[in-house]
This record gives sequence, C-alpha cells and structure tokens, in this order.
Amino acid sequence: MQSCNHPSVDLTLLEDTLAEYAGVKGSLISILQKTQEIYGYVPIDAVYRISERTGDSPAKILGVATFYSQFRFQAVGKYLIMLCKGTACYVNGAERILDAVSDELGIGNNETTADGLFSLSVVACLGCCSLAPVMMINGTTYGSLTPDKARQILRDLRKEAEGT
Amino acid sequence: MTARIVVGEGSCGLAAGAAAVYDALQKALPADADARLSITGCVGACYLEPIVDVYDADGVLHRCVHVAPENAPAIVSAVATGDYAGLAGIAIQPEDEQFLSKQTRIALRHCGVIDPESIDEYLADDGYQALEKVLKTMTPEQVIEEIKISGLAGRGGAGFPTWFKWNAARASAGTEKYLICNADEGDPGAFMDRAVIESDPHNLIEGMLIAAYAIGCVEAVVYVRAEYPLAIVRLTKAIKQARERGYLGKNILGSDFSCDIRIKAGAGAFVCGEETALIESLEGSRGMPRLKPPFPAEAGYWHKPSNINNVETYANVSWIINHGGAAFAAMGTENSKGTKVFAVTGKVRRGGLVEIPMGMTLRDVIFGIAGGIRDGRKFKAVQLGGPSGGCIPESLLDTVIDYKSLQATGAIMGSGGMVVMDDSTCMVGIAKFFLDFTTKESCGKCVHCRIGTKRLGEILTRIVNGQGKEGDVELLEELCNTVKAGALCGLGQSAPNPVLTTIRYFRDEYDAHIRDKKCPAKACPALLTYSIDPDKCKGCSACAKKCPVQAISGQVKKPFTIDPNVCIRCGACHNTCRFGAVNVE
Amino acid sequence: MSDIKLTINGKLCAGKSGQTILDIARENGIDIPTLCHNDTVAHYGACGLCVVEAEGSPKLLRSCSTLAADGMVINTEGERAVQARKIALELLMSDHDGDCMGPCRLACPAGTNCQAYVKQVALGNTKEAVRIVKERLPLPASIGHVCPHPCEKDCRRGLVEEPISIALIKRFMSMDQLHAPDRWKPEKEPATGKTVGVIGGGPGGLTAAYYLALHGHDVTLTDAMPQMGGMLRYGIPQYRLPKDVVDAEVAEIAETGVKMENNVKIGRDISFADYRAKYDAVVIAIGAWSSTPLRCPGEDLPGVYGGIDFLRSVALHDPLPIGKSVAIVGGGNTAMDACRTAVRLGAENVYVIYRRTKNEMPANLDEIEEAEEEGVQFKFLTNPAEIIGSNGRAAAVKLQVMELGEPDASGRRSPVPVEGKFETLAVDSVIAAIGQKVDPAGFDVELNKRGIIAADETTFRTDLEGVFAVGDATNKGAGIAIAAIGEASKAADVVDSYLRGAIVPYKPPFVSKRTVTAQDLADREKKPRVHVNNRPAQERKHDFEPVNDGFTAEEAMKEASRCLECGCHDYGECSLIQHANRYEIHPERFAGEKRHKDLERKLVVIERDQGKCILCGLCVRVCDEVAGEGLLGLVGRGFGTVVKPEFRDSDRIKVCASCKKCAQACPTGALKILD
Repeated sequence: MQSCNHPSVDLTLLEDTLAEYAGVKGSLISILQKTQEIYGYVPIDAVYRISERTGDSPAKILGVATFYSQFRFQAVGKYLIMLCKGTACYVNGAERILDAVSDELGIGNNETTADGLFSLSVVACLGCCSLAPVMMINGTTYGSLTPDKARQILRDLRKEAEGT
Repeated sequence: MTARIVVGEGSCGLAAGAAAVYDALQKALPADADARLSITGCVGACYLEPIVDVYDADGVLHRCVHVAPENAPAIVSAVATGDYAGLAGIAIQPEDEQFLSKQTRIALRHCGVIDPESIDEYLADDGYQALEKVLKTMTPEQVIEEIKISGLAGRGGAGFPTWFKWNAARASAGTEKYLICNADEGDPGAFMDRAVIESDPHNLIEGMLIAAYAIGCVEAVVYVRAEYPLAIVRLTKAIKQARERGYLGKNILGSDFSCDIRIKAGAGAFVCGEETALIESLEGSRGMPRLKPPFPAEAGYWHKPSNINNVETYANVSWIINHGGAAFAAMGTENSKGTKVFAVTGKVRRGGLVEIPMGMTLRDVIFGIAGGIRDGRKFKAVQLGGPSGGCIPESLLDTVIDYKSLQATGAIMGSGGMVVMDDSTCMVGIAKFFLDFTTKESCGKCVHCRIGTKRLGEILTRIVNGQGKEGDVELLEELCNTVKAGALCGLGQSAPNPVLTTIRYFRDEYDAHIRDKKCPAKACPALLTYSIDPDKCKGCSACAKKCPVQAISGQVKKPFTIDPNVCIRCGACHNTCRFGAVNVE
Repeated sequence: MSDIKLTINGKLCAGKSGQTILDIARENGIDIPTLCHNDTVAHYGACGLCVVEAEGSPKLLRSCSTLAADGMVINTEGERAVQARKIALELLMSDHDGDCMGPCRLACPAGTNCQAYVKQVALGNTKEAVRIVKERLPLPASIGHVCPHPCEKDCRRGLVEEPISIALIKRFMSMDQLHAPDRWKPEKEPATGKTVGVIGGGPGGLTAAYYLALHGHDVTLTDAMPQMGGMLRYGIPQYRLPKDVVDAEVAEIAETGVKMENNVKIGRDISFADYRAKYDAVVIAIGAWSSTPLRCPGEDLPGVYGGIDFLRSVALHDPLPIGKSVAIVGGGNTAMDACRTAVRLGAENVYVIYRRTKNEMPANLDEIEEAEEEGVQFKFLTNPAEIIGSNGRAAAVKLQVMELGEPDASGRRSPVPVEGKFETLAVDSVIAAIGQKVDPAGFDVELNKRGIIAADETTFRTDLEGVFAVGDATNKGAGIAIAAIGEASKAADVVDSYLRGAIVPYKPPFVSKRTVTAQDLADREKKPRVHVNNRPAQERKHDFEPVNDGFTAEEAMKEASRCLECGCHDYGECSLIQHANRYEIHPERFAGEKRHKDLERKLVVIERDQGKCILCGLCVRVCDEVAGEGLLGLVGRGFGTVVKPEFRDSDRIKVCASCKKCAQACPTGALKILD
C-alpha cells in the first residue's frame, strides 16, 4: 500500500531493525531512532510498516514520534545545525547567533534551505555551557560564537560542499 | 617511569578543539619516545579547554591550557628533554589552579584523571573495590544502612533520601525489580551527569550495581539523553569491558548476584527527567507523567518495583562504600551531607564543573572558585535549578548551599545548574526564557501546566514587549501559585519558580517594564531606543552600511541619524560603531 | 463490606479500601467535578478539576486517583481546591474555540433557541419547533409577526450571503401550529397553593403569567383594557399582526389556568395596596403607554396626537380624526406603524418628519421601504419647531432644517439645526411618535430618576416586599416586545424561587464564543435567502390585511436548511460548560493564543472539532482501552498537542468500527456524531 502524499521509500531497509526488535517490548523509540538513522527522518510509510510488524497502531506510533523533538518527518539538509538555546547560551547572547544564522541562511527554526544544504534546529541544551554560545553541526561543536564567527562557519561549510 | 601526555577529551574539550590537539601530538610524538599519549575525560575547568596534562618521568603534573595543535611540538620536546620551561606560555596560571584546588571531589574524583575508555585505569584507581566489598562482605540491608548513615540524598533535584527509596523498592513484593539511572539531564545549564558518564563511566556502573544488589534488581537501564552521543559511546564501551571482566552479568565476581545494564537513548523531551515520564518513555510511550501514587518503588517500569536515581547520586555510592557512610556524612550541613557538583556558567570568569562540600556559600563558589564576574561588570543574580529553580539576588549570596537554605530562597538545589548573570541580563527576560522552555517541554497532559505555562509565557512576553498592564504581576503570581498547586508532575509544579523568584527579588524590573516601558538591563529590544550622539559620530557610515533596514542616513563625515520609526532595534549599529557614538536607552 | 471511614465536607462517609476519594464522595452524594475521568478507563489526572484538600496534606490531591484511607478528612470545596479548579476552567476556556450558543440565540433578548427551532422547521417538525420556542417565548406567532429580529442581525449566515429569515420561520411554524388539533401543550408542575397577581396583559405580563402558571402557581392576570394583548393588540396595526393571532395565543395562555380580568385599572378600580393584599406575589408589567410630548409651541392644539394613542384608537375601531394631510414625527417602528396606518385610513399626504437621515432611522429597513412604496413622503433632516394653528386646530408644521454633526453617544451623527433655515408644511394633523413614557400613577413603588419603576436587574424586585416588575415599565423604559418577554420569563423563575422560600437571582450563563470572520466561511456554499413577495403597495395600502402571507411550508424548510448550526450540539450536556457555570470564572484574564480550530470527518460517522477539544484524552483512551482499536492518538506535545485519528483513507470504513464510543465519552462538543 502506498500513500499518495509522500515519496515512497525503500521499506526493505527497515527489515533488519524490525527483526532485531521483534518481540522486544518497549522498543518503539529505539525502532524509530533506527528508522531515522536509516532514512534521515521518519517516513510515514515506515510508520505503517512498523505498525504492521509491532502491532502498535499507527496512531500510537505517530503519537510517540511527535512527542519527542528528536524525530523529524521530512528529510533534512546535508548539514543539520543544532543551535543551543540553553540558559548559559541565552545569557551569553544565543538570540543574536540565531538571528545571524537565520539571516545568513534565510531560514527559521526547523526549516531547510532551498538548496537542501542546511537545516536549522534550535535545541534546549547541548551541555557545553562553558563554551556558550554554541552550535553543533553534524556532530561537531562550535563554541564561543559571535554572530560573525557563526556566519563564517556556515560560509566555510558551504564552500566545502560546493567544492566537492 | 614513562612520561604521559593526557588530552582532555570530554565534550567541552572536543568542542574546543581537543581532537586536533591529540592528532597533532600523535604526529609530533616519535614512535620510540618514552612517553605515552592518552585521553582522559573532563576535569571540569571547561573555560581552559583544550587542556593537556603532561606527567613527567617523576609523575609530576604540568598542566597546559588553551592548547592549540601548534603547541604539540613544544609539548613533545618538553617531555623528551624534561625541560618544561618552554611550556610557560600555555602553563596553567596559579589563580586557575585554585579553581580545582578549592574543590572536594567525590563524584568527580576520576574525571579528568583516568582514561574513561580503559577499565584498567579505573581498576588501578580503586575501581570495583566497593562492589567486591559489598558482594563479599555485606548484606543488602547493610548496604542500605551504610547509605543511610552517609545521608546521601537524590542529586537530581528533589533531594529525597536515597536509602529510603532503595529500602522501599527492596521492601516491595515481587522478584522482578528494576534499577534505573536517570541520565536525561535536561536542565539547560547543567552537565555534570554527562561529564561523569563521559569521564568515569565505570564509577556509574559500579554505583548502579551496588544499588541493584541492595534492592534486589536483576536488570538495570541507563536512560541517556540523545544529545549526549559521546556519553553513550563511552558507557557502551565500559559496559562491554565490565561484562568481559565479570563485573556485570551472571554471578558477578563469583557471587549469587547477577545483573546486567543496558542503555536506552532518550529522544528529546525534558519532561522525561520526571521519573514516571521517564518510565513511560522507557516503555516506548509518550513521556507523559503518571499519577502518583503508586510510586515507582511499588509499581514502576512495566509496573514492577523500580528504583530511579540520577547519575551523580550513583556516582557517590562506591566512594561511600569504600570510605564509610560516616566519612561522607562528615561533610556538609545538618540537613545536607556530602558534596554536590555544580555546573557554574554564565558571566563568570572561570566556568565549569565545581564539586564542593555542602555548606559552602554561593559567594564562595561564584567569587571564590569561579572568580566572580567577567568583563568588569556587576553581579546581578544566580540562577539555580534550571527551569524548576529560581534566581537569587546579590543580597542572598551568603546563603549556605544545602537543600533547606536554598529552598528558603525560592530556588532549589536542583541538579546543580548555576548560571550567573550580570547587570546586562534582564530578569523579566530570563523568566520569559524559562517559561518559553517549560511551555515547549510541557507534555501537554494536565491543564495547569499545558495552558498555564503558555499563558504565563504570553503575559511575560507582553511585559518585555512593553505591552504589560498594571496588575500583570499580580496575575502572574496568582497563576503561578495555582499552577504549582494544580500541575500533575514536578515539571509543572516547579515551572513557576523562575517567575516567582524574579518577582520576589526583582519586582522593580517588572514595574519598570510595565509602568515606564523601560528595560533597566537594556536587554529587551522592544524597549530600547537607538540614537547617534552627533558629538561622537565621525560620519564614517559604517553603521548605515550594517543597518539591515536602512534606518540610518546621513552624509559622510557629518553626523548620521537613526529613524526610530524604521529601526528594528537589532543593535547592529551599536555593535559596529568604533567611536561609541550609538546610544542605547 | 465497607471497611474504612472518612470525613468529606464534614460528613462521615463509609467506603471500601481500594476505592478512590472520588468514588466514595459520589456514593455519598457529594459531587466533585471532573472532565477527564470515566469509570471505563484507567485514571489519567489531566483536567485537575477533581482536586481536593486533605487535612494534614500540603498538596492538593486528585480525588479521581487518590485512594481513600481510613480517617482521612477531606474538603472538596476548600479555598485552595476551588481556586485550582477555577483557574483550570479559566485556562481551558481561554483555549476553547467554540460557540455554546449560536449568535442568533445570544442576540435574542429572550434567549430563544433559534437554531434548534429553525432546525426542526428544516426537518418539517413544526410541533417540536413550537415546543422549543415556547421554552422561552409563549407568544411565538405574535412575535413572529412583529419582532424586529435582532437575531437576524447577528446571524452568521450573513457573513456568507444573507442571514436566515428567523422571524418569518418563527411566524410560519407558529401559524402552522396555532390551530393544529394535536399541537403541543405544556405540562404544569403540581399546584403550589401560592397566588400571584400579574398586572398588565401585554407581552411581558402574559409571559410572566404563563410561566408562573406552569410552575404550579395560581395566577391572575389583570389588565386595564377590554382585552388582553397590550401593545400587541393596541399598538401594532392589524396589517402587521392580525388580532385573531393574538386572540389564539392569549387563549393558549388562559388554558394553562391563568385567570384573566380585564377593565381593571390599578388606582381606579382597586388600590394597589388592596391588590397586593390578595396575592403572595405581584408582578407589575404595565408597559409604557404615554406618548412623549413634542415639546414645541402648539403641541397642545387639537389635531396633535401621540403615536400610540392614535394606533390604539384605530385598534379600538374609533380612529382619531387625522384629515387628508398628516405629519408623523419620529423615525422608529411606531412612526412607521402610524404613517402606514394613516395611509390605510385614507390620508392623501402622509409625511414622516425625521431629524436625521434614512441611515440613522431606528425603524426596520423593511418597514421604511414598504412605507415608501405605500406613498409615505419622508422629510429627512427636519424637526418640528412649532405647530401652527388655524381655527383652533393644527394646520401646519414649521420645520427647522437640520444637518448632521458629530457622532453622539449612540454612535449616530447628531442632528444640528441650520440656523435660520425653516420650511412650512401644511397639515391637518400631527402624530408625535418620538417615544413612550411610563405612567406609574397608582403604584406606590420606588421610581428611578426618569420616573420609571426601579426594579433590581437580577431579581426584578421593587422596593416593596413581594412586588416584582418587568418590561417597558421598568428601569430603561420602553423597548421591544421580545425584551419584555425575556425579562418576564426570567422573572417568572425568580418569583417562583421566591414563592418557594429562597429567592435565586437570575444569572446570565457563562458561554463560550467563537470569533468567526467571513474568511472562515469562504468555503461555504452560497444559498440565497428565500424572499416572500409582498402584496403590491397599491393594493395593500387600501386595507388592513397582512402585507404578505409569510412562508409556505416549502419555503420555510428551504430557508431553515440554510442554517449553519453555529451553536454547539452538546450545549445541553457539555460537562465543561456546566462546571464553568458552577464557578465564577473570568477566562478573559488569560486571553491568548488558541489552538487551531480544524474540523474534520475522518472518523466516518464523527465530526471532530479541534477548537472544542480539551485534551482530556478520553476518546483516545476509550478507543484504545474499551473499543480495543487504538485509532486515535495524541500528536505533538505541550500546548500544541492535538488528538488525531491515524489510518489511511482507504482503510477508513474497514478500520473504524464506527462504535461511536469516543463521541459518547467526550465531555464537550468536540466530537459530534453525524446523523
């Protein structure tokens, strides 16, 4: 069964994960995390497939997936910027970094640039409070940011992406 | 003795560039050098990262700070020659040494000292001795008694006596019981749990196993925040090592006691720090808190008796067993024993992890250890306990750090976030910041929290936007008090604290926003007016070029002016002007 | 076997261990409000309404889930618990986007349930429609003819094209039933043995008498005129309201046992003191029967009449002599009645003198236009400065020419004289229809500053024990009939409570209102209003027959089916609104963002209205725990959480068993079972 609103995805990629967790109760979040690892997001078709295999209703699965901020339902850009807005970052001017990043990329929170290069996600706390303000891009943390420094990092990444 | 070069690779160190330093050192170090290069976790002096500890052949420590890859050859040559004078430029300064020397480390005792990825280094530093002692010489009751003597209380926030929870779970009927470690450290501004897992994962495992033995659990789970990938990697490694060495699994150390630990990664929900929400999440559901009672000790994970403590709590256990509960209880105050780790951040000169005995004052920590306020500004407030806590003003800086004294201020001990603010922070703004956070993180189940925090945030928003009305403060107070009384779980019950404490101690700032439409800290953009001082303006046009809305005009070499009707108060001109000609009021 | 004892609100209650505080309270007749609790599913604890105080506990306890323990001392109505409950309701209502009642019903001064009777008409059930309207209005046929229908002004269909013709629908259904042999008859409560005298047989008095009689009281309706009906009979011309309609409705009211005495005027035929002495309670509903004087020179000349005096003379078949040229002063409905009546009496030149313009006229536009069609000449922006006499009779009006100045308190632009500019109009008579006054002679009750009977706005009490007053005779003075009826029906309940020993003031219900714009309704199909054709002006101006015949059954059904049904289907049973009305709540203090208000019909037979959802989770839990389907889920987190069904459209019928349990469990109107 294919849903007409979403691009179809290769559901066979899910099989190993579904087999790994078959019969393990309470593993829905882990399955969803694996799903996101595989596809970069949680495709709606995968939700139905997980439902078929786990017996959890699609309503429950979507309810769980939408509860946690980790899960996304659309593909993200090549670079996922997680901009910290924890207390220490806030006190040290995270708002100005957010403004600079938004302005530089022309996107807001939870949006992706038209070229598919950057996605922006404002997060609660990355736990690098002493380096505030910080952002993490694809696992790399950038600390002690200033608006200009943040812009430069994004420009460097863009150059890097265009160079390859 | 072989010299050792140890690079601090906690998350903070890595964020500051420790990996590049490590690579540079590896490259610079000759294959035949009589020196070993290794990593360690986080020593807690995050503001000095990247930190490289060099132990010479005599075992003497030469600590280097703010190390760049370019410093690698100098470090390698110092090790080779034994002459450390060349490292003077990156050597730690005496006042920075005080940051560490004034601390008392129990939970963090191995952090930044041993290699977190090596069980041998842990074993060499008394690792797993407490577990062995417990399994071979103590009954579960004796373990609980020892914890009772120690006075250890939950370090996650509520400060509930640890022995009591263990005892309740032990007393609950049934053989299937679970031990849970809450590593969903969600308070923005707190990161000691991450540091412990990244830097000393075996200590957590050992503490959990002792608890599992005392309670009678066969299975344990660590619920780690998804935002802590490095912690997950290191804990996974440590669990594997412990299992291989027989510290984990069936018949541990040849005893009848069997227990295994697994990791569950959270998926991004602050409310899962609440124990019943955490259990729901562990079961694969939406992390919405359950009604209590029943408490988890009676019916928790899969409705079986369960014990939940946070990382720092477990991290104290092995020390208590090794040194005796009395030694732990000897530190601290009448109602709060032992030490507590704080993550001191914000506008302090020296930010990082600070472990101190209970009973020190806030001033001791903020000024004595963290060096006071940086950039020559004035202390205004310290925020304790994150979104559940409160802001404490300067007049209360001599408050003693223990559960009761902090609670009396309206703040809480919390998990140990200590965010220091100077006079550039708006206290209404900070209240709004926290309410925005709790509104976003409210699970949405109960009315008081779901809509109450939303409305609190909206009222605060209108105040910082200069649209506050007379009576808003009273309305905030009324709503806060009712949300505290009516919310289902700790998140909602404590969400009003940042508002109530800022009203209590900084009422004048609220009034200034509401009545005079002014932000005393000059932090609320909507209440600022930017203008150019014609006497100082050189007419360089730099500000006009930076202005994103073309609100600034003028002729070069003559004073420029800002059109207040066009100005969006972004502050770009103020930040750009090299002559201090842009006034903000 | 009960094994524990606890005290709830001072009452010793027995219960079994394992029972919750809520269970035991309910078994002992103590009602603790809750919205998210339902015995068929597990405890949830979301709504926070069931909180109670327990002695010795600093925290509020959720009674739905807290197990009762022996010796507990519980207070369900303590200050802290009530405060938490109140604020929970205020917060819920601040996020509630729904209309308890349609705007039509809210606009009706009598609160008639327009939407409900319109719907019955659409279904062809006029008997039920009349039953519904008579919950609030015992004279629907009369009012259906004459009401200026404020309901239609607020009708939301007006945002799509034109409002529903509510008045014509009411007229149709009431006329359809007026003489129907099996028409609906009200039931009376058992006799109380109490007596009530109602003074004034107009719409207010008739209404008070009717509802008091239904409450079981022995009611006497006393009126100074020869027949009952008041202004409906003596102030409204026959062409608008045929007298036999009034006769039939008065007869219906008499059938409920109301004793009627006519030609009895207080102060003339019986003193008020003697009248009072006869009854346990008295309701004064004497209306406002004196015309406001013109206050200009010559107003006392013969040939100058008051508007209602003129209309009454016509109703009594003894019309005042008006001659061939008549000037009617005023712009309200009485002025229209007077001028059109003058036309029908054969006057050749009928003028309406009005000091502002047509836009500002308070009369209904239909009335104005029909008068124009019938040849009435409007003299806008003029005001009588003097009535000029000749031969001892009015012969001309000197008119001051006016212009419009600044808006006044009512928002209308106020007329200002143009200095020195006058006109003269030759007339045979002048009818002053500029207002009505109360004549309280003979009633020794307290009057307000304007000489109108002062009655309490919530109890309708006067300063005399057991004496109540309603309608045009009170407070603000003359208004429209339906307003007097509204007061009278409310007063009937208050008087009833008074007669039963404890007076309960009228309290307007708290209701939720939705803000809707034309844009919100842009997707609605346009359905033009059904118009009725008036008889040609040339024909109707010569007789007193009705201007039109009203709707046919077919037209009425078609028109009624245009209703958007704005009011909530669940208003009568909604737990949320019931609890909200139990406490004094002010959700406007917390006004802020509301969650979206999407409507969707994914659940096959159920329409879901997100704006009314309070996230109690009952539908989700019932679908999961009771129906075993798990089709509904909570989506998102925090304030933005919504309930959503999740299955593919192709699975719809197959998956949802249409058991409707979710809708049955819903405590509000968020889930509606489609017929």
